[in-house]
Amino acid sequence: MSLCHSYMPNYFSIDDILSSQERVSCKIEVKLPGLGYLDVSSESPDLQSGTKLDLPHWLAYPMNSRTHPFVSIEVPKIYKEAYREILTADACAVALNKWSCYFYEFGIHLAQYEHSDCNLIQDLLLQAFKSRFRLVMDWAHNTGTDPTVGLQLPILERKLFLTGRKSRCLLISWLKEGGGSIETSEMVANHKKRKRAELEDENT
Amino acid sequence: MDDSVADVSEHLDSSDNEEFTPGKVLQDIENAWLNEKFAPEILPHQSELVDCMLEQISHMEENMKKLKKGDIRLAIHKMEIDRIRFVIKSYLRTRLEKIEQYTIHILSEDDKKSPEESYLTPGERKFAKEYLANIETLFRTVALQHMPANFQAFEVDKLTVKPNLNSHVFLRVNKPVQGIIVPGTTNDEIDLTAGAQRLIQYQPIASLVKEGAVQLI
Amino acid sequence: MFGEKALELIKELERSAEGIPPFNDDGIRQVLEEMRILCQANFDDIENPTTDPPNYSSVRVRHMAISRNKRCILAYLYNRLQKIRQMRWEFGSILPPEIKSLLSEPEVQWFTSYSKALATYMRSIGDNYGLNLATDVTPPKSLYIEVRCLVDYGKLDLEDGEVIFLKKNSQYLLPRAECEGLVRQGVLQHVTS
Repeated sequence: MSLCHSYMPNYFSIDDILSSQERVSCKIEVKLPGLGYLDVSSESPDLQSGTKLDLPHWLAYPMNSRTHPFVSIEVPKIYKEAYREILTADACAVALNKWSCYFYEFGIHLAQYEHSDCNLIQDLLLQAFKSRFRLVMDWAHNTGTDPTVGLQLPILERKLFLTGRKSRCLLISWLKEGGGSIETSEMVANHKKRKRAELEDENT
Repeated sequence: MDDSVADVSEHLDSSDNEEFTPGKVLQDIENAWLNEKFAPEILPHQSELVDCMLEQISHMEENMKKLKKGDIRLAIHKMEIDRIRFVIKSYLRTRLEKIEQYTIHILSEDDKKSPEESYLTPGERKFAKEYLANIETLFRTVALQHMPANFQAFEVDKLTVKPNLNSHVFLRVNKPVQGIIVPGTTNDEIDLTAGAQRLIQYQPIASLVKEGAVQLI
Repeated sequence: MFGEKALELIKELERSAEGIPPFNDDGIRQVLEEMRILCQANFDDIENPTTDPPNYSSVRVRHMAISRNKRCILAYLYNRLQKIRQMRWEFGSILPPEIKSLLSEPEVQWFTSYSKALATYMRSIGDNYGLNLATDVTPPKSLYIEVRCLVDYGKLDLEDGEVIFLKKNSQYLLPRAECEGLVRQGVLQHVTS
């Protein structure tokens, strides 16, 4: 597809589904009969109130955002005071993908919870992104960059990095050759590559 | 590029009035193409321009048959036609991609408009409906009909994918406009002076693109 | 935890971002089974409440899990369709058999319907003038381009009536408009130097 998309999660978005799978620490506030199996450490058939367990965001959020919440939540440590200070000190020095591959997307999800620690998350994300953007852009524009550095970035930055690299390559080839060269379609090329690999496998 | 087309068409086609010269039509199509390429949402269709230009092309092709093989003019005309055809195809492809991407959203917006105001051509509308119907059929056959009874619905509202109107675009100002307010920023109003170029959120200038007051670049 | 199988389907797609993985019939069946079991449990809870007044909290939780499973299945199908759609533009209206074998029967039918709807639309362009949108994907720079043939392709009829035979490892100077499709399909390679 040639259309350029800015981040806009929707029902079918793979990134949105994966980022909403990130876990939130929850404490059960209302006894949930018959759901004891969700807590592997307990043998009770029911999920007793007071039980602590990690739930994926997609489940924790609707359970938490009710007039009488089923669970209370705790903000993951990477968005709390101690980690916030590390980011403020030098955001570029942090291997953010080790904190979470979906650092930004998950952060946006968390900002929706009604919890005092959540109000600061939006600002935190914005500041982190602003200070790291220059680094990402630099990497993308520098031809000497090892292409695998992208893997050290969380998904959002990684995609930006790859887009930046691609357009940089296109610009260079346009400056050199004036463009207009016809290429094998991407999927066709991948298909051929795979076929060749299979043949080689058979021969060895 | 437009100059040579105007030249070519001038001696191929004698109808030549101020408003609708081939050069002007080509310029308008190129503008429509750039707008469509950079706008996140689908724009009102320009089928009169497309139809008119395609008609020009077939005239030119008819006339070229009269030229002898090897005539240098043949190659020049053919090249020119190829370039125009590329612009038209690229323009229509971009629209088709948006239609596929935002099918439900575009169709429901379009239902609110009268047929004359529709952003889609009848052909595009027919395609959009078939595209949606085909997806629904696949969802039903493979998954929905096997789900528990109260989960079988094709939930149009949830499944709607919308373009991100807050994304940023580059534009050049054709006509001066005053007092643009960009949401989410300080309350400063932005004035657009003719000829100026800027990077701005799409939402507040969407209507200006459709009126032709600004050109996306 | 709920939705583990469904998540597997999504991860499968994420892993093969470049191609299309074989249709996971069994995976879908397992997710549908989880939905059925959760739904049955809800039904039982509503029919025979164990507490008085009845406690529907668990019913609500299971309901969320069923919806999540539904979302994952539909997202799995939808994202596959996006790839299949791309194939129509890149391979043309006939799929290579190795690719076809990765699709489910309904997906193959979808591909055919999509091709048909697209063809109808393309015929209607310009007051039924008709325009093939799958060609001219790059801006033309010249009428003729130099190409190298990568396979023994055989006969190619040119518009001006000339017929040429494309042989592996030979180079030709051909009208761009007439060989673009073969370049995109990987039969010819555009030689630029």
